[in-house]
Amino acid sequence: MFITRLWNYFYGYAIITVKGINTERFINLAVTNGIYLWDIEKLDYMTIRVRINAKDFFRLRRIVKKTGTKVRIQKKCGMPFRIKTIKKRRLLVFGLGALLLFLYILSLFIWMVEIDGNTIVADNIILERLDYNGLKVGILKKKINKRHIENEMLIAMPELAWIGIEIKGTKAYVAISEKIEEPDYINIDEPCDIIAIKNAVIEKILVLNGDGVVNDGDTVEKGQILVSGIIERENIDTRYTHSMAKVLAKAWYEDVEEIHFKQIEFKNSGRVKRTYGIELLGKRLRKTKTIHFKDFNKSINEKYIFRFGDYVFPIKYITTVYSELIPIEKGLTLQEAKDRCLERLNIKIKLQYPEDAVITNKKVDYFLNNESVIGKMYVETIEDIAEKKLIDILF
Amino acid sequence: MGGKAYKVVEKLAEVLELPKDIILDISKIIVIGTDSFTIENHKGIVTYCDNKISINTGIGVITIIGKDLIIKSILEEEIIIKGQLSSIEF
Repeated sequence: MFITRLWNYFYGYAIITVKGINTERFINLAVTNGIYLWDIEKLDYMTIRVRINAKDFFRLRRIVKKTGTKVRIQKKCGMPFRIKTIKKRRLLVFGLGALLLFLYILSLFIWMVEIDGNTIVADNIILERLDYNGLKVGILKKKINKRHIENEMLIAMPELAWIGIEIKGTKAYVAISEKIEEPDYINIDEPCDIIAIKNAVIEKILVLNGDGVVNDGDTVEKGQILVSGIIERENIDTRYTHSMAKVLAKAWYEDVEEIHFKQIEFKNSGRVKRTYGIELLGKRLRKTKTIHFKDFNKSINEKYIFRFGDYVFPIKYITTVYSELIPIEKGLTLQEAKDRCLERLNIKIKLQYPEDAVITNKKVDYFLNNESVIGKMYVETIEDIAEKKLIDILF
Repeated sequence: MGGKAYKVVEKLAEVLELPKDIILDISKIIVIGTDSFTIENHKGIVTYCDNKISINTGIGVITIIGKDLIIKSILEEEIIIKGQLSSIEF
């Protein structure tokens, strides 16, 4: 039964009403003429409702004349009639087709370049370089020669160890791994000196190889030789050795920070203004709105409207939120100012000394004036200041 | 119907165990539950109302009485009737 239904749907059928005294005769004649009728219902004494194939409908004429009935079409169903109505809405079909074509054409281009794996080299530098080598937003996917770009990138940017370009949908994923800089390594059979990397006072020097030039307690300057690799003795030829030593020295650091008693803090007032815009193919359309806020926080949120997995289309919806900030003047007490000063000094001074330094002494002096507190911090550390330096020997 | 030839053929069909409805021109009626009635080998509809349908067959007029009767499909060999059947008269 289902198959016949499907068949009827494809070829189209009509729901008709037949009005007459002898509807039974109408049915019988139709059957004997090989016209298929189905779903016959009696509506009232004189009329029946019948379904009939579109093709067979025109063969009814003779039967209708013979039986003296009146036939009226109630509804046309099925595919052929559907198609007719669709054809009438030509513009709609055309628009749908155009949209599909537009999306297809858009999907041939790259609309997003994503970089992953870089920590040292900034995104925009890599993007610029990729752009130069032919991978950028808005380029035909076909035109991209991945191997070529990868090679060019590696040649142009020595900071990169490896680069992999993968194109998925309208996105280009660029995976990067950067070179880790090799430390200057001096081979053990090459002669070298040991020098100080900063001004310090030697706390302890342990010479394993070479000639110690300085003693414990000596003050050394940056670049001064601590252990010499040239060993000169009376009656013996001068030897050149690879110096090795552990040099621990005291070093000092200081930093200054000023904290005003009057502090201006910004607080959200709760007033927010939004502007909306659309970016299409890199061109922005938006209504300009004047922002009356004196101080504000601006945050931009960009969202791709058409996004199907890896297929991203270059239509962005941009929301810009301006939230007003109100400056609030706040007076700090002396203790608060000192605390804040110390906190900042601690953070600042950490940037100066190496991570493995041992802090032996820490001191903070505060100087007061009418407006502010000035904190001065001294830190004394013990750290390794040795660095190997190759000896240039002229033979 | 009751001719000599008919009786001979009927006998023959019985002896050879052939289906009667094919050998002889008589109807086969299938009733499924109380809502489906199928008749094969008919000779047209005599009357059709939504509570009574009479069908002419080789063995006489068969009348179906019920409620909301519709002719689901009608072909030269077969009629399918759906609806609430209450009685079938021969």
